[in-house]
Amino acid sequence: MTEPIVTTPLRERATNALGDRLLHEALDIATTRFITLRREAFGDFPEGERLRDRARAIKEATLQRLDTYLEMLVANVERLGGHVHFAATAEEARDIVLGIARRTGARMAVKSKSMATEEIHLNDALQAIGVTPVETDLGEYIIQLAHERPSHIIAPAIHKTKGQVAELFSRELGRPGLPADPEVLTKIAREELREKFLQADLGITGANFAVADTGTVVLVTNEGNGRMATSLPRVHVAVMGVEKVIPSMTDLAVFLAILAKSATGQKLSVYTTLVQGPRRPGELEGPDEFHLVLLDNGRIAQIGGTLRESLYCLRCGACLNVCPVYRQIGGHAYGYTYPGPIGILLTAMLNGPGSVKDLSHASSLCGACADACPVRIDIPRMLIELRREVDARRIAPWSERVVFKTFARVLRSPWLYRAGARIGRMAQRPFVRDGRIRALPFFFGHWTRTRDLPPVAARTFQERWRDL
Amino acid sequence: MTSKAEFLARIRTEMAKTPGLFTAAPAERPAQPRQRLDILRRELSERWPQMLERFRSEFERVAGVFHRVPTAAEVPAALERICRERAARRVVAWPAEELGVAIAPALGAAGIAVESMPRASVPDTERDRLRGTIAVADLGVTGADLAVAETGTLVLVSAAGRPRSTSLLPPCHVAVFDRAALVESLEQVGLALEAWHDGPAPPERGAVINFITGPSRTADIELTLTRGVHGPKEIHAIFVDGGFARHD
Repeated sequence: MTEPIVTTPLRERATNALGDRLLHEALDIATTRFITLRREAFGDFPEGERLRDRARAIKEATLQRLDTYLEMLVANVERLGGHVHFAATAEEARDIVLGIARRTGARMAVKSKSMATEEIHLNDALQAIGVTPVETDLGEYIIQLAHERPSHIIAPAIHKTKGQVAELFSRELGRPGLPADPEVLTKIAREELREKFLQADLGITGANFAVADTGTVVLVTNEGNGRMATSLPRVHVAVMGVEKVIPSMTDLAVFLAILAKSATGQKLSVYTTLVQGPRRPGELEGPDEFHLVLLDNGRIAQIGGTLRESLYCLRCGACLNVCPVYRQIGGHAYGYTYPGPIGILLTAMLNGPGSVKDLSHASSLCGACADACPVRIDIPRMLIELRREVDARRIAPWSERVVFKTFARVLRSPWLYRAGARIGRMAQRPFVRDGRIRALPFFFGHWTRTRDLPPVAARTFQERWRDL
Repeated sequence: MTSKAEFLARIRTEMAKTPGLFTAAPAERPAQPRQRLDILRRELSERWPQMLERFRSEFERVAGVFHRVPTAAEVPAALERICRERAARRVVAWPAEELGVAIAPALGAAGIAVESMPRASVPDTERDRLRGTIAVADLGVTGADLAVAETGTLVLVSAAGRPRSTSLLPPCHVAVFDRAALVESLEQVGLALEAWHDGPAPPERGAVINFITGPSRTADIELTLTRGVHGPKEIHAIFVDGGFARHD
């Protein structure tokens, strides 16, 4: 179980986000840009649709024989001289990494961007035993200096302006008066982090894929921090969810062809790094030790569960950019490690359906996420399933349950429905203003507080049909 | 701690609950990938000019700088020009055997120090020294095992004599290659990867394969594209028309 990050209710978090004009502007620019770049990338790539189908099939096929592929991966990593660890929970995963850090006497860990290590809250745990964790993805570095959390899976600091970053660097790095110039700020980060890379004992990464057949861990980055973290420190630890395994190099080529296009609109990210165990004899650099931590943390229970399809997720972020809810409230308002439509599903996976009783409704079910997803995950279907589960567990407030039960009864009976329409037509009279219902009394007001309701028509379709 | 057996048992229990969402198979892998790769290479050797043109245009699209020289003998001069333009005086490079061409004598004569990477194990003190040298070098010169036309990507396999950071730590990376490296697509890269892993790896093979598509970049501050965040700010490719004698 992963503990929630925020304790305020979703409504409050969303309201705060909606009131933040800067956040709003940044979100709007970023998501619109990502959508355009993605569309252009696939527009230039006629095989894209076919490859998306293949990628989806590979993910499903892998889950159908997940035990076999994981065993193969483990055997091959070990054959190459690496060590594999198994973590059922976030706590176990943390303990494994901490154990490695202690045993190797590590003082500093450089981290390449990894959602899996965010998910298990590794940084705080490292800090607690005296190992300094340094995030090296520029966005993550900014976030870490600011003591915040990422707001977007692939662009963690999109909520920050260059002015804010300049102030932050000036203050935190003791370099007063830095200009609000991304070029200068990036150069400063390069200098600061280059030192850390050369000093660090431990390189910690996630994994975008792991190829079972060859024991290869694959890291995709644009900055090169994945390469640094796997080349310079004397120990490399990769933490990955079990669902990241794929059968072969042929499969890898399929995923690489669609991943970057979906994420940033690039044909390929700048660096794709295939890591096969520790440094080999004669190699000048690379770690003495390589560790792979296979993480369950709620994933395995979904192999046969309602959220199975979310195990296909590549963490590209495409569904965030197109989501009308994400575009309004941004990543922080979701309150957990994984934001956006897929984030709701992953949150339920990690923390149980109770954690998303509000979040499961933070979607208009418009289906844009499923369209954008490179592996066509049917996110809306699973959101509906989650809402049903939340309802079945009676987690929703009783008033809401009564209203929806009554509504369901009315819809099931033609007689009640017709009567309901007639009653509604009369009862709504005091509330209709300019053809809309803008405010309702009692708990019905929850609905109209944030949106209008169209009134019941003067004559229903059925009534008009009868008269034809 | 959870053991491997417990972990896999849990997975099997869950797998038994469902046949899956639909009938699905992984991508079909080539039988005899090494033979297939040889056949592909022969086919490709006839259309290398088109591949090269596509590579050039994609490489430039990702901000790479493309050069072309008639023979391997002209590579040092091309490198010298690149060094001069950047006032680069410290060069780290793969050794002549890995590069296919000796660059140290000519560049040395022009006052540019070239440190060639060792092809055999060196003591730890020497490793530390070399790491320091690479970290402060102005230019890193490497070969390329594949050049992918579809994406403008260079694929480099690490090994003794081909350290990973030669293409990573210096602010400018130059890769030298000939037509034998050209492939058309990522799909063909997939075939090459299958072929390279068909059977036991050659003893000199390193533990990392890198795909490099343009200079290191970030857009993490207000989505402003900035180059050279951790890796090189610049990447150059020198294509040798006449090719070089390969040791493989």
